[in-house]
Amino acid sequence: MDHAGRIRWFAREVLPHEPDMRRWLSVRLRGLESCDLDEVVQEAYARIWGAELEKILNPRAYLFVTARHIVGEQLRRSRIVSIELMADLEVLNIVDDDEGAERRLSGQEEIARLHRIIEKLPPKCRQAFRMKKFDELPQREIAARMGVAESTVEKHLAKALRVISKEMNAEPGAAEVRARGEDRFWRWGQGRG
Amino acid sequence: MVKIGSGDGDKVEAEAAAWAILSTERPLDQSEQQRLDAWLAAGSRNLGAFIRAQAIWSDVDRVVALDQRPQPEAVEPAPSRRWRYYAIAASLLVALVGGGTAYDRLAGRVSTGRTEVRELVLEDGSRVTLNGDSAVQVRYAAGERRLILRRGEASFSVAHDSARPFYVTAGDVTVRAVGTRFSVGMEDEDVEVTVEEGVVSVADDDGVPPRLIHRNEEFVAAPTGSRKAVLEEAEVERRLAWRRGLLIFNGDSLRSASAEVNRYSPVPVIIDDPTLARAEFVGVFRIGEGRAFASAAAQAFNGVVVERPDGLHLMRQQNSPSH
Repeated sequence: MDHAGRIRWFAREVLPHEPDMRRWLSVRLRGLESCDLDEVVQEAYARIWGAELEKILNPRAYLFVTARHIVGEQLRRSRIVSIELMADLEVLNIVDDDEGAERRLSGQEEIARLHRIIEKLPPKCRQAFRMKKFDELPQREIAARMGVAESTVEKHLAKALRVISKEMNAEPGAAEVRARGEDRFWRWGQGRG
Repeated sequence: MVKIGSGDGDKVEAEAAAWAILSTERPLDQSEQQRLDAWLAAGSRNLGAFIRAQAIWSDVDRVVALDQRPQPEAVEPAPSRRWRYYAIAASLLVALVGGGTAYDRLAGRVSTGRTEVRELVLEDGSRVTLNGDSAVQVRYAAGERRLILRRGEASFSVAHDSARPFYVTAGDVTVRAVGTRFSVGMEDEDVEVTVEEGVVSVADDDGVPPRLIHRNEEFVAAPTGSRKAVLEEAEVERRLAWRRGLLIFNGDSLRSASAEVNRYSPVPVIIDDPTLARAEFVGVFRIGEGRAFASAAAQAFNGVVVERPDGLHLMRQQNSPSH
Protein backbone atom coordinates (compact mmCIF):
# COMPACT_ATOMS: atom_id res chain seq x y z
CA MET A 1 0.00 0.00 0.00
CA ASP A 2 1.28 3.46 -0.84
CA HIS A 3 0.72 6.49 1.35
CA ALA A 4 -2.64 7.35 -0.21
CA GLY A 5 -3.72 3.71 0.01
CA ARG A 6 -2.83 3.60 3.69
CA ILE A 7 -4.76 6.81 4.31
CA ARG A 8 -7.79 5.30 2.55
CA TRP A 9 -7.39 2.20 4.70
CA PHE A 10 -7.58 4.40 7.78
CA ALA A 11 -10.63 6.20 6.40
CA ARG A 12 -12.33 2.90 5.70
CA GLU A 13 -11.24 0.69 8.59
CA VAL A 14 -10.47 2.94 11.55
CA LEU A 15 -12.41 6.18 11.21
CA PRO A 16 -15.88 4.58 11.39
CA HIS A 17 -15.01 2.97 14.72
CA GLU A 18 -13.48 6.00 16.33
CA PRO A 19 -16.72 7.44 17.80
CA ASP A 20 -17.48 4.06 19.39
CA MET A 21 -13.99 3.84 20.73
CA ARG A 22 -14.19 7.32 22.23
CA ARG A 23 -17.46 6.54 23.92
CA TRP A 24 -16.23 3.19 25.11
CA LEU A 25 -13.16 4.79 26.58
CA SER A 26 -14.91 7.77 28.10
CA VAL A 27 -17.18 5.46 30.05
CA ARG A 28 -14.19 3.70 31.50
CA LEU A 29 -12.33 6.87 32.30
CA ARG A 30 -15.17 8.53 34.14
CA GLY A 31 -13.09 9.22 37.22
CA LEU A 32 -10.31 10.83 35.25
CA GLU A 33 -11.61 14.26 34.54
CA SER A 34 -8.69 15.64 32.67
CA CYS A 35 -7.92 12.58 30.65
CA ASP A 36 -7.67 13.86 27.13
CA LEU A 37 -9.38 11.49 24.76
CA ASP A 38 -8.03 13.37 21.75
CA GLU A 39 -4.53 12.54 22.85
CA VAL A 40 -5.31 8.87 23.26
CA VAL A 41 -6.87 8.85 19.81
CA GLN A 42 -3.87 10.61 18.27
CA GLU A 43 -1.46 8.18 19.86
CA ALA A 44 -3.57 5.23 18.74
CA TYR A 45 -3.54 6.41 15.12
CA ALA A 46 0.23 6.84 15.25
CA ARG A 47 0.73 3.30 16.55
CA ILE A 48 -1.60 1.73 14.04
CA TRP A 49 0.14 3.68 11.27
CA GLY A 50 3.34 1.95 12.33
CA ALA A 51 1.78 -1.50 12.04
CA GLU A 52 1.53 -3.71 9.00
CA LEU A 53 -1.97 -2.78 8.00
CA GLU A 54 -2.48 -5.80 5.74
CA LYS A 55 -2.08 -8.07 8.73
CA ILE A 56 -4.71 -6.40 10.85
CA LEU A 57 -7.67 -8.73 10.56
CA ASN A 58 -10.05 -6.85 12.78
CA PRO A 59 -9.27 -3.12 12.71
CA ARG A 60 -12.07 -2.31 15.16
CA ALA A 61 -10.73 -4.60 17.83
CA TYR A 62 -7.19 -3.49 17.02
CA LEU A 63 -8.16 0.14 17.57
CA PHE A 64 -9.84 -0.63 20.88
CA VAL A 65 -6.96 -2.72 22.15
CA THR A 66 -4.41 -0.13 21.10
CA ALA A 67 -6.34 2.60 22.90
CA ARG A 68 -6.63 0.43 25.97
CA HIS A 69 -2.87 -0.13 26.02
CA ILE A 70 -2.19 3.56 25.71
CA VAL A 71 -4.49 4.41 28.60
CA GLY A 72 -2.97 1.60 30.62
CA GLU A 73 0.54 2.91 30.06
CA GLN A 74 -0.47 6.43 31.01
CA LEU A 75 -2.23 5.22 34.12
CA ARG A 76 0.75 3.20 35.24
CA ARG A 77 2.91 6.26 34.77
CA SER A 78 0.61 8.39 36.86
CA ARG A 79 0.91 5.91 39.78
CA ILE A 80 -2.10 7.09 41.68
CA VAL A 81 -4.81 5.05 40.08
CA SER A 82 -7.24 2.91 41.93
CA ILE A 83 -6.61 -0.79 41.77
CA GLU A 84 -10.13 -1.35 40.49
CA LEU A 85 -9.57 0.82 37.46
CA MET A 86 -6.40 -1.01 36.55
CA ALA A 87 -8.13 -4.33 36.98
CA ASP A 88 -10.99 -3.07 34.87
CA LEU A 89 -8.67 -2.15 32.08
CA GLU A 90 -7.18 -5.62 32.14
CA VAL A 91 -10.46 -7.44 31.76
CA LEU A 92 -12.21 -5.22 29.25
CA ASN A 93 -14.33 -7.35 27.08
CA ILE A 94 -14.18 -6.24 23.49
CA VAL A 95 -16.81 -7.47 21.16
CA ASP A 96 -15.08 -8.04 17.89
CA ASP A 97 -17.59 -7.78 15.21
CA ASP A 98 -18.03 -8.61 11.60
CA GLU A 99 -16.89 -5.93 9.28
CA GLY A 100 -19.46 -3.28 8.60
CA ALA A 101 -21.76 -4.28 11.37
CA GLU A 102 -21.19 -1.13 13.37
CA ARG A 103 -21.44 1.26 10.48
CA ARG A 104 -24.89 2.21 11.31
CA LEU A 105 -24.87 5.61 9.69
CA SER A 106 -26.50 5.08 6.33
CA GLY A 107 -25.27 6.84 3.24
CA GLN A 108 -28.18 9.26 3.54
CA GLU A 109 -27.29 10.03 7.14
CA GLU A 110 -23.68 10.60 6.25
CA ILE A 111 -24.67 12.98 3.49
CA ALA A 112 -27.01 14.82 5.84
CA ARG A 113 -24.28 15.05 8.43
CA LEU A 114 -21.82 16.49 5.93
CA HIS A 115 -24.32 19.12 4.82
CA ARG A 116 -25.06 19.97 8.43
CA ILE A 117 -21.38 20.52 9.05
CA ILE A 118 -20.97 22.59 5.90
CA GLU A 119 -23.75 24.89 7.10
CA LYS A 120 -21.75 25.59 10.23
CA LEU A 121 -18.68 26.76 8.35
CA PRO A 122 -17.95 30.48 8.02
CA PRO A 123 -19.08 31.72 4.55
CA LYS A 124 -15.65 32.03 2.88
CA CYS A 125 -14.54 28.75 4.34
CA ARG A 126 -17.73 27.06 3.12
CA GLN A 127 -17.27 28.52 -0.34
CA ALA A 128 -13.71 27.24 -0.60
CA PHE A 129 -14.70 23.82 0.72
CA ARG A 130 -17.55 23.46 -1.77
CA MET A 131 -15.37 24.43 -4.68
CA LYS A 132 -12.70 22.00 -3.56
CA LYS A 133 -14.78 18.94 -2.70
CA PHE A 134 -17.96 19.28 -4.70
CA ASP A 135 -16.75 21.11 -7.80
CA GLU A 136 -13.29 19.53 -7.58
CA LEU A 137 -11.59 22.72 -8.65
CA PRO A 138 -7.83 23.07 -8.35
CA GLN A 139 -6.56 25.27 -5.58
CA ARG A 140 -5.35 27.90 -7.99
CA GLU A 141 -8.77 28.16 -9.62
CA ILE A 142 -10.44 28.51 -6.21
CA ALA A 143 -8.03 31.27 -5.29
CA ALA A 144 -8.71 33.07 -8.57
CA ARG A 145 -12.48 32.82 -8.22
CA MET A 146 -12.43 34.01 -4.64
CA GLY A 147 -9.86 36.70 -5.39
CA VAL A 148 -7.53 35.60 -2.59
CA ALA A 149 -4.07 34.06 -2.31
CA GLU A 150 -3.69 30.28 -2.55
CA SER A 151 -2.37 30.23 0.99
CA THR A 152 -5.66 31.79 2.12
CA VAL A 153 -7.56 29.01 0.37
CA GLU A 154 -5.38 26.51 2.23
CA LYS A 155 -6.27 28.19 5.51
CA HIS A 156 -9.97 28.01 4.70
CA LEU A 157 -9.71 24.34 3.82
CA ALA A 158 -7.72 23.57 6.95
CA LYS A 159 -10.40 25.33 8.98
CA ALA A 160 -13.09 23.24 7.26
CA LEU A 161 -11.19 20.05 7.98
CA ARG A 162 -10.78 21.08 11.60
CA VAL A 163 -14.54 21.66 11.97
CA ILE A 164 -15.40 18.33 10.31
CA SER A 165 -12.98 16.52 12.56
CA LYS A 166 -14.47 18.16 15.66
CA GLU A 167 -18.03 17.40 14.59
CA MET A 168 -17.11 13.78 14.06
CA ASN A 169 -16.08 13.51 17.67
CA ALA A 170 -19.31 15.04 18.84
CA GLU A 171 -21.63 12.90 16.73
CA PRO A 172 -22.97 9.66 18.06
CA GLY A 173 -21.43 7.59 15.34
CA ALA A 174 -22.74 4.08 15.56
CA ALA A 175 -23.64 1.10 17.62
CA GLU A 176 -25.56 3.04 20.22
CA VAL A 177 -27.21 -0.11 21.39
CA ARG A 178 -24.07 -1.94 22.01
CA ALA A 179 -22.36 1.01 23.59
CA ARG A 180 -25.22 1.24 26.03
CA GLY A 181 -25.21 -2.48 26.58
CA GLU A 182 -21.52 -2.56 27.29
CA ASP A 183 -21.80 0.45 29.48
CA ARG A 184 -24.48 -0.94 31.72
CA PHE A 185 -23.02 -4.38 31.81
CA TRP A 186 -19.78 -2.82 32.71
CA ARG A 187 -21.18 -0.92 35.68
CA TRP A 188 -22.81 -4.01 36.96
CA GLY A 189 -19.65 -6.01 36.81
CA GLN A 190 -17.87 -3.23 38.60
CA GLY A 191 -20.45 -2.83 41.31
CA ARG A 192 -20.38 -6.43 42.26
CA GLY A 193 -16.62 -6.84 42.26
CA MET B 1 -7.76 13.80 40.31
CA VAL B 2 -5.64 11.94 37.85
CA LYS B 3 -4.19 13.97 35.04
CA ILE B 4 -3.33 12.21 31.84
CA GLY B 5 -1.64 13.85 28.92
CA SER B 6 -0.47 17.34 28.32
CA GLY B 7 -3.79 18.91 27.37
CA ASP B 8 -2.58 20.28 24.05
CA GLY B 9 -4.62 17.85 21.96
CA ASP B 10 -6.54 20.71 20.41
CA LYS B 11 -3.44 22.57 19.27
CA VAL B 12 -2.06 19.40 17.75
CA GLU B 13 -5.34 18.87 15.88
CA ALA B 14 -5.23 22.34 14.37
CA GLU B 15 -1.63 21.94 13.21
CA ALA B 16 -2.41 18.50 11.84
CA ALA B 17 -5.33 19.87 9.80
CA ALA B 18 -3.11 22.54 8.28
CA TRP B 19 -0.40 20.05 7.35
CA ALA B 20 -2.91 17.55 6.01
CA ILE B 21 -4.32 20.15 3.61
CA LEU B 22 -0.91 21.36 2.48
CA SER B 23 0.51 17.92 1.86
CA THR B 24 -2.60 16.50 0.22
CA GLU B 25 -3.43 19.37 -2.07
CA ARG B 26 -0.05 20.16 -3.53
CA PRO B 27 3.59 19.10 -3.37
CA LEU B 28 5.43 20.68 -0.45
CA ASP B 29 8.45 22.82 -1.13
CA GLN B 30 11.71 21.97 0.53
CA SER B 31 11.38 24.21 3.55
CA GLU B 32 7.80 23.12 4.14
CA GLN B 33 8.86 19.48 3.95
CA GLN B 34 11.57 20.14 6.52
CA ARG B 35 9.14 21.84 8.85
CA LEU B 36 6.65 18.99 8.47
CA ASP B 37 9.35 16.42 9.19
CA ALA B 38 10.44 18.33 12.27
CA TRP B 39 6.88 18.65 13.47
CA LEU B 40 6.24 14.93 12.97
CA ALA B 41 9.47 14.06 14.74
CA ALA B 42 8.46 16.14 17.74
CA GLY B 43 6.03 13.52 19.00
CA SER B 44 4.12 10.47 17.90
CA ARG B 45 0.79 12.20 18.62
CA ASN B 46 1.57 14.70 15.87
CA LEU B 47 1.91 11.81 13.46
CA GLY B 48 -1.34 10.25 14.67
CA ALA B 49 -3.26 13.51 14.32
CA PHE B 50 -1.75 14.05 10.87
CA ILE B 51 -2.82 10.56 9.69
CA ARG B 52 -6.25 11.04 11.15
CA ALA B 53 -6.72 14.46 9.51
CA GLN B 54 -5.75 13.04 6.11
CA ALA B 55 -8.12 10.11 6.59
CA ILE B 56 -11.01 12.47 7.42
CA TRP B 57 -10.18 14.68 4.46
CA SER B 58 -10.17 11.71 2.11
CA ASP B 59 -13.35 10.33 3.64
CA VAL B 60 -15.17 13.53 2.68
CA ASP B 61 -14.71 12.52 -0.96
CA ARG B 62 -16.52 9.27 -0.32
CA VAL B 63 -19.51 11.04 1.24
CA VAL B 64 -19.59 13.63 -1.54
CA ALA B 65 -19.58 10.77 -4.07
CA LEU B 66 -22.53 9.19 -2.25
CA ASP B 67 -24.33 12.50 -2.44
CA GLN B 68 -23.83 12.77 -6.18
CA ARG B 69 -24.71 9.18 -6.99
CA PRO B 70 -28.24 8.30 -8.09
CA GLN B 71 -30.30 6.70 -5.34
CA PRO B 72 -29.68 2.95 -5.09
CA GLU B 73 -33.41 2.19 -5.25
CA ALA B 74 -33.49 3.53 -8.78
CA VAL B 75 -30.88 1.08 -9.97
CA GLU B 76 -32.09 -2.30 -11.03
CA PRO B 77 -29.73 -5.17 -11.57
CA ALA B 78 -29.16 -5.76 -15.26
CA PRO B 79 -30.30 -9.19 -16.41
CA SER B 80 -26.80 -10.12 -17.43
CA ARG B 81 -25.73 -9.75 -13.84
CA ARG B 82 -28.29 -12.06 -12.41
CA TRP B 83 -26.03 -15.04 -12.68
CA ARG B 84 -23.57 -13.14 -10.61
CA TYR B 85 -26.13 -12.96 -7.86
CA TYR B 86 -26.61 -16.67 -8.07
CA ALA B 87 -22.89 -17.07 -7.88
CA ILE B 88 -22.74 -14.79 -4.85
CA ALA B 89 -25.63 -16.65 -3.28
CA ALA B 90 -23.93 -19.94 -3.89
CA SER B 91 -20.66 -18.73 -2.45
CA LEU B 92 -22.45 -17.35 0.57
CA LEU B 93 -24.04 -20.70 1.14
CA VAL B 94 -20.68 -22.37 0.96
CA ALA B 95 -19.12 -19.77 3.20
CA LEU B 96 -21.76 -19.65 5.85
CA VAL B 97 -23.08 -23.14 6.01
CA GLY B 98 -20.11 -25.38 6.59
CA GLY B 99 -21.90 -28.65 6.82
CA GLY B 100 -25.42 -29.92 6.63
CA THR B 101 -26.80 -27.62 3.98
CA ALA B 102 -30.45 -28.14 3.40
CA TYR B 103 -30.88 -26.31 0.16
CA ASP B 104 -33.25 -27.96 -2.19
CA ARG B 105 -32.73 -26.01 -5.35
CA LEU B 106 -35.81 -27.28 -7.16
CA ALA B 107 -38.20 -26.55 -4.38
CA GLY B 108 -36.37 -23.30 -3.56
CA ARG B 109 -36.39 -24.28 0.08
CA VAL B 110 -33.60 -23.19 2.36
CA SER B 111 -33.34 -24.11 6.00
CA THR B 112 -30.85 -23.60 8.77
CA GLY B 113 -29.77 -25.72 11.70
CA ARG B 114 -29.79 -24.58 15.30
CA THR B 115 -26.38 -23.03 15.36
CA GLU B 116 -26.30 -21.19 12.06
CA VAL B 117 -27.43 -17.90 10.63
CA ARG B 118 -27.35 -17.70 6.89
CA GLU B 119 -27.64 -14.96 4.32
CA LEU B 120 -29.05 -15.62 0.87
CA VAL B 121 -28.86 -13.30 -2.08
CA LEU B 122 -31.75 -13.83 -4.43
CA GLU B 123 -31.70 -13.38 -8.17
CA ASP B 124 -33.08 -9.84 -8.02
CA GLY B 125 -30.52 -8.73 -5.46
CA SER B 126 -32.87 -8.97 -2.49
CA ARG B 127 -31.32 -10.48 0.60
CA VAL B 128 -32.74 -12.92 3.07
CA THR B 129 -31.04 -13.58 6.36
CA LEU B 130 -32.27 -16.73 7.97
CA ASN B 131 -32.05 -17.10 11.73
CA GLY B 132 -31.16 -20.42 13.36
CA ASP B 133 -33.61 -23.30 13.04
CA SER B 134 -35.61 -21.56 10.33
CA ALA B 135 -36.86 -22.45 6.88
CA VAL B 136 -37.95 -20.36 3.95
CA GLN B 137 -39.20 -21.26 0.49
CA VAL B 138 -38.41 -19.06 -2.48
CA ARG B 139 -41.02 -18.80 -5.23
CA TYR B 140 -40.15 -16.22 -7.80
CA ALA B 141 -42.42 -15.80 -10.80
CA ALA B 142 -42.61 -13.29 -13.63
CA GLY B 143 -45.22 -11.11 -11.95
CA GLU B 144 -44.32 -11.49 -8.27
CA ARG B 145 -41.66 -12.49 -5.84
CA ARG B 146 -42.94 -14.67 -3.06
CA LEU B 147 -41.21 -16.19 -0.06
CA ILE B 148 -42.88 -18.53 2.35
CA LEU B 149 -41.55 -18.67 5.87
CA ARG B 150 -42.10 -22.23 7.05
CA ARG B 151 -40.65 -21.84 10.48
CA GLY B 152 -38.39 -19.64 12.56
CA GLU B 153 -37.37 -16.12 11.63
CA ALA B 154 -36.00 -14.32 8.62
CA SER B 155 -35.12 -10.77 7.79
CA PHE B 156 -35.53 -9.35 4.30
CA SER B 157 -33.84 -6.57 2.46
CA VAL B 158 -35.90 -6.08 -0.65
CA ALA B 159 -34.58 -4.85 -4.00
CA HIS B 160 -36.94 -2.33 -5.48
CA ASP B 161 -39.02 -3.59 -8.40
CA SER B 162 -42.53 -2.16 -8.49
CA ALA B 163 -43.46 -4.43 -11.39
CA ARG B 164 -42.85 -7.50 -9.25
CA PRO B 165 -44.24 -7.09 -5.74
CA PHE B 166 -42.43 -8.86 -2.97
CA TYR B 167 -44.53 -11.01 -0.64
CA VAL B 168 -43.64 -12.96 2.45
CA THR B 169 -46.18 -15.44 3.71
CA ALA B 170 -45.99 -16.83 7.24
CA GLY B 171 -48.95 -18.95 8.27
CA ASP B 172 -52.04 -16.85 7.61
CA VAL B 173 -50.13 -13.61 7.43
CA THR B 174 -48.96 -12.09 4.17
CA VAL B 175 -46.58 -9.16 4.12
CA ARG B 176 -46.21 -7.07 0.98
CA ALA B 177 -43.19 -4.84 0.52
CA VAL B 178 -41.72 -2.64 -2.13
CA GLY B 179 -38.07 -1.81 -1.57
CA THR B 180 -37.77 -2.03 2.18
CA ARG B 181 -36.22 -3.95 5.05
CA PHE B 182 -38.21 -5.98 7.51
CA SER B 183 -38.23 -9.27 9.34
CA VAL B 184 -40.83 -11.93 9.95
CA GLY B 185 -40.71 -14.43 12.77
CA MET B 186 -42.93 -17.33 13.78
CA GLU B 187 -43.08 -18.53 17.32
CA ASP B 188 -45.70 -21.03 18.40
CA GLU B 189 -48.80 -19.61 16.76
CA ASP B 190 -47.67 -16.00 16.66
CA VAL B 191 -46.33 -14.24 13.61
CA GLU B 192 -44.30 -11.13 14.26
CA VAL B 193 -43.42 -8.54 11.63
CA THR B 194 -40.81 -5.86 12.40
CA VAL B 195 -40.09 -3.08 9.92
CA GLU B 196 -36.64 -1.58 9.82
CA GLU B 197 -36.98 0.66 6.80
CA GLY B 198 -39.83 1.70 4.52
CA VAL B 199 -43.39 0.46 4.78
CA VAL B 200 -45.01 -2.94 4.40
CA SER B 201 -48.62 -3.91 4.17
CA VAL B 202 -49.74 -6.85 6.28
CA ALA B 203 -52.81 -8.92 5.53
CA ASP B 204 -54.01 -11.22 8.22
CA ASP B 205 -56.52 -13.54 6.57
CA ASP B 206 -59.20 -12.42 9.03
CA GLY B 207 -61.13 -10.24 6.60
CA VAL B 208 -59.75 -6.99 7.99
CA PRO B 209 -58.22 -4.77 5.28
CA PRO B 210 -54.42 -4.90 5.16
CA ARG B 211 -52.64 -2.75 7.70
CA LEU B 212 -49.64 -0.57 6.95
CA ILE B 213 -46.66 -1.14 9.19
CA HIS B 214 -44.01 1.56 9.12
CA ARG B 215 -40.41 1.87 10.04
CA ASN B 216 -39.70 0.93 13.66
CA GLU B 217 -43.09 -0.63 14.14
CA GLU B 218 -44.00 -4.19 14.81
CA PHE B 219 -47.11 -6.14 14.07
CA VAL B 220 -48.00 -9.31 15.92
CA ALA B 221 -50.66 -11.67 14.63
CA ALA B 222 -51.69 -14.03 17.42
CA PRO B 223 -54.65 -16.40 17.83
CA THR B 224 -55.95 -14.02 20.48
CA GLY B 225 -55.92 -11.08 18.08
CA SER B 226 -53.51 -8.80 16.29
CA ARG B 227 -51.72 -5.75 17.58
CA LYS B 228 -49.36 -3.11 16.35
CA ALA B 229 -46.71 -1.40 18.44
CA VAL B 230 -44.12 1.32 17.96
CA LEU B 231 -40.58 0.32 18.80
CA GLU B 232 -37.56 2.38 19.58
CA GLU B 233 -34.93 2.23 16.91
CA ALA B 234 -32.48 0.72 19.38
CA GLU B 235 -34.98 -2.01 20.14
CA VAL B 236 -35.36 -2.87 16.46
CA GLU B 237 -31.60 -2.99 16.14
CA ARG B 238 -31.36 -5.20 19.19
CA ARG B 239 -33.94 -7.64 17.93
CA LEU B 240 -32.19 -8.01 14.63
CA ALA B 241 -28.70 -8.33 16.05
CA TRP B 242 -28.75 -12.06 15.33
CA ARG B 243 -28.21 -11.20 11.68
CA ARG B 244 -24.80 -9.88 12.57
CA GLY B 245 -24.05 -12.98 14.60
CA LEU B 246 -24.67 -11.12 17.85
CA LEU B 247 -27.10 -11.43 20.70
CA ILE B 248 -27.79 -8.19 22.49
CA PHE B 249 -29.50 -8.20 25.84
CA ASN B 250 -30.67 -4.98 27.34
CA GLY B 251 -32.46 -5.59 30.59
CA ASP B 252 -33.74 -9.01 29.56
CA SER B 253 -34.18 -11.56 32.30
CA LEU B 254 -31.44 -14.15 32.54
CA ARG B 255 -34.08 -16.74 31.77
CA SER B 256 -35.05 -15.30 28.42
CA ALA B 257 -31.46 -14.35 27.62
CA SER B 258 -30.27 -17.89 28.25
CA ALA B 259 -33.12 -19.30 26.16
CA GLU B 260 -31.93 -17.15 23.30
CA VAL B 261 -28.31 -18.15 23.84
CA ASN B 262 -29.27 -21.82 23.99
CA ARG B 263 -31.02 -21.51 20.70
CA TYR B 264 -27.61 -21.40 19.06
CA SER B 265 -25.31 -23.00 21.57
CA PRO B 266 -24.38 -26.68 21.47
CA VAL B 267 -23.95 -26.64 25.28
CA PRO B 268 -27.04 -25.29 27.04
CA VAL B 269 -26.84 -22.80 29.90
CA ILE B 270 -29.14 -23.88 32.73
CA ILE B 271 -30.32 -21.63 35.56
CA ASP B 272 -32.01 -23.52 38.37
CA ASP B 273 -32.44 -20.72 40.88
CA PRO B 274 -35.69 -18.90 39.95
CA THR B 275 -34.63 -15.62 41.56
CA LEU B 276 -31.44 -15.64 39.54
CA ALA B 277 -33.40 -16.46 36.38
CA ARG B 278 -35.47 -13.33 36.94
CA ALA B 279 -32.48 -11.05 37.30
CA GLU B 280 -32.12 -8.52 34.52
CA PHE B 281 -29.11 -8.69 32.35
CA VAL B 282 -27.22 -6.50 29.91
CA GLY B 283 -24.57 -7.74 27.55
CA VAL B 284 -23.46 -8.49 24.02
CA PHE B 285 -22.40 -11.93 22.88
CA ARG B 286 -21.55 -13.72 19.73
CA ILE B 287 -23.95 -16.39 18.66
CA GLY B 288 -22.78 -19.82 19.76
CA GLU B 289 -20.80 -18.57 22.74
CA GLY B 290 -22.80 -20.14 25.53
CA ARG B 291 -19.74 -20.42 27.69
CA ALA B 292 -18.85 -16.74 27.40
CA PHE B 293 -22.43 -15.85 28.26
CA ALA B 294 -22.45 -18.09 31.33
CA SER B 295 -19.20 -16.75 32.68
CA ALA B 296 -20.15 -13.11 32.04
CA ALA B 297 -23.48 -13.65 33.78
CA ALA B 298 -21.71 -15.34 36.66
CA GLN B 299 -19.40 -12.37 36.96
CA ALA B 300 -22.22 -9.86 36.85
CA PHE B 301 -24.26 -11.62 39.52
CA ASN B 302 -21.42 -12.89 41.63
CA GLY B 303 -22.31 -16.43 40.71
CA VAL B 304 -20.44 -19.49 39.55
CA VAL B 305 -20.64 -21.74 36.52
CA VAL B 306 -20.67 -25.47 37.23
CA GLU B 307 -20.22 -27.78 34.29
CA ARG B 308 -22.36 -30.90 34.37
CA PRO B 309 -23.11 -33.49 31.71
CA ASP B 310 -26.41 -31.80 30.80
CA GLY B 311 -24.95 -28.33 30.40
CA LEU B 312 -23.50 -25.30 32.14
CA HIS B 313 -25.28 -24.59 35.42
CA LEU B 314 -25.28 -21.00 36.50
CA MET B 315 -25.80 -20.62 40.23
CA ARG B 316 -25.37 -18.15 43.02
CA GLN B 317 -22.24 -18.27 45.05
CA GLN B 318 -22.92 -19.23 48.65
CA ASN B 319 -22.08 -16.60 51.26
CA SER B 320 -21.78 -14.04 48.56
CA PRO B 321 -21.20 -10.59 50.08
CA SER B 322 -23.62 -8.90 47.72
CA HIS B 323 -26.64 -11.05 48.52
